[in-house]
Amino acid sequence: MPIDDTYLTMEKNMSEVLRHLVEVEEAADDILTDKMQLVNLDRKKNKNREAIRSLKTVPSTSTSTKEQKAWVCFGNMFLKIPLTKAKQVLEEDQEQLDREIDSLRANLKAKVNRLNELEGKEELKGFSLAALDRNEMAAMKQGRPGSS
Amino acid sequence: MADTTKVPEVREITRIERIGAHSHIRGLGLDDALEARQVSQGMVGQCKARRAVGLILEMIKDGKIAGRALLLAGRPGTGKTAIAMGLAQALGQDTPFTAMTGSEIFSLDMCKTEALCQAFRKSIGVRIKEETEIIEGEVVEIQIDRPATGTGQKVGKLTLKTTEMETIYDLGTKMIESLTKEKVQAGDIITIDKATGKISKLGRSFTRARDYDAMGAQTKFVQCPEGELQKRKEVVHTVTLHEIDVINSRTQGFLALFSGDTGEIKSEVREQINAKVAEWREEGKAEIVPGVLFVDEVHMLDIECFSYLNRALESDMAPVLIMATNRGITRIRGTNYQSPHGMPIDLLDRLIIVHTQPYDEKETKQILRIRCEEEDVEICDDALTVLTRIGMETSLRYAIQLITTANLVSRKRKATEVNMDDIKRVYSLFLDESRSSQFLKEYQEEFMFNEMASNDNDSVEPANENDNMETV
Repeated sequence: MPIDDTYLTMEKNMSEVLRHLVEVEEAADDILTDKMQLVNLDRKKNKNREAIRSLKTVPSTSTSTKEQKAWVCFGNMFLKIPLTKAKQVLEEDQEQLDREIDSLRANLKAKVNRLNELEGKEELKGFSLAALDRNEMAAMKQGRPGSS
Repeated sequence: MADTTKVPEVREITRIERIGAHSHIRGLGLDDALEARQVSQGMVGQCKARRAVGLILEMIKDGKIAGRALLLAGRPGTGKTAIAMGLAQALGQDTPFTAMTGSEIFSLDMCKTEALCQAFRKSIGVRIKEETEIIEGEVVEIQIDRPATGTGQKVGKLTLKTTEMETIYDLGTKMIESLTKEKVQAGDIITIDKATGKISKLGRSFTRARDYDAMGAQTKFVQCPEGELQKRKEVVHTVTLHEIDVINSRTQGFLALFSGDTGEIKSEVREQINAKVAEWREEGKAEIVPGVLFVDEVHMLDIECFSYLNRALESDMAPVLIMATNRGITRIRGTNYQSPHGMPIDLLDRLIIVHTQPYDEKETKQILRIRCEEEDVEICDDALTVLTRIGMETSLRYAIQLITTANLVSRKRKATEVNMDDIKRVYSLFLDESRSSQFLKEYQEEFMFNEMASNDNDSVEPANENDNMETV
């Protein structure tokens, strides 16, 4: 039956297209989530940085710095903990954040590449290159107008 | 996020140029299966040659055939240069393409092999990536505390925001200095390079557009940046080896790139650069982009150049070499030996040779029509048919010349369309090559210095021999 046949192939094509679209959307969604995550992490990082900064500039009172305590807000709780301890916690947190951001960024590239591939776009040129370091870049740019 | 928003740069400026002989060509005109379409992207006919070049194109794009060479051979006016131009267009902006003419190397103030070497290195791109960590945001507030005595440490605070977040940075003396130097104030969008601490102003925020009535014309308004404050920017540059050479040859500097007066570049410099680039490639810091070097009229090169080419093609950083010639079996320049296409056999052996065939009547008509469109000339069908006949009997180039001239004639009589009479008129006004030589032969006696009749053995001279070849 020719009519049934075409109907069937059409149906098959439709599901194929749908599957592909779902795949593309999923990949894109994944990227968006990651980007959102990056923004959130960066916000946290900045807040941490401000906290570390302000702990450093706490006016030293008569009591020695070892016994000095500070109010710190973790999540929803205010805690009064020793200054050195607070600093330590925050700094560890900061390192952890840095690592997370780095790994997210690294993965993001692969994901963007995959999305491009799914969408049938050309691969970005030089995407996988390692960057030149600063001295090498300076050597490449020497004397070029606009580099100063 | 700089990684993901990076899109290929779009060139907004349309190039203003005169209508050249090949300005109607926009590509090779192939379909996805690499079959040549009869008429596409300004190319007509020549399907076999186009298909062959299309295969080469794919290989170049995959980076597979560096260091190979292709020879386009065919009679004059069969579209050799057109095919090369089409290839250049199809390769796109990112692949280096250098076009030169064989005779070019004789007229420079450097030796022939140096000129060739520079042309080779102009056709090899090196792709490198620059990565910078920056803080980008809109300035909400700057607070600077100056000590009452006027001297001593200044401290301050800088509040930056993006659409997503806001944060405060403590400032040291140095940063305060560079902020004041850049005249940064609340409402500016700035970037701070993390590695160098360099501050640059991108413009003012749109939300502050109405802060003042009187504003300099150069004030640029930009959107408040999105996303995170600390960004990583990656920029990919493609430079040619020749550019790196010029930058690094100490006597010249970058300006030489603009003036074109590069002179000869020491081979030590080149070796060092090759070594450095190879090192970067090992470390994954650079990619080689083999480009295309197109040498037109390659029979004009002499034996020295040919042997240089032989050697240069074997280097591991060689571009794809495309040559075009319209000669048959003729003398190799600089020797007394005859050889096909005027090139030594050992070099010919390394080449892939693509022949271009003369156009048939239909194709000629099509090309003429495309040229008419390109030159904004309305032409009626009869006139086009006549023009095609002229094109078939004389040469395609002559017929193309007639288009513009016929257009001028038709405009003189205030017509919008070129008709048959216009074509006839310009055909009688302007001689084609064969009619001109016919005329010369008939009235030879009346010209000055005529020697043709007196000594017939003149025609054996090499110069004449070459000229004869051109018209075969």
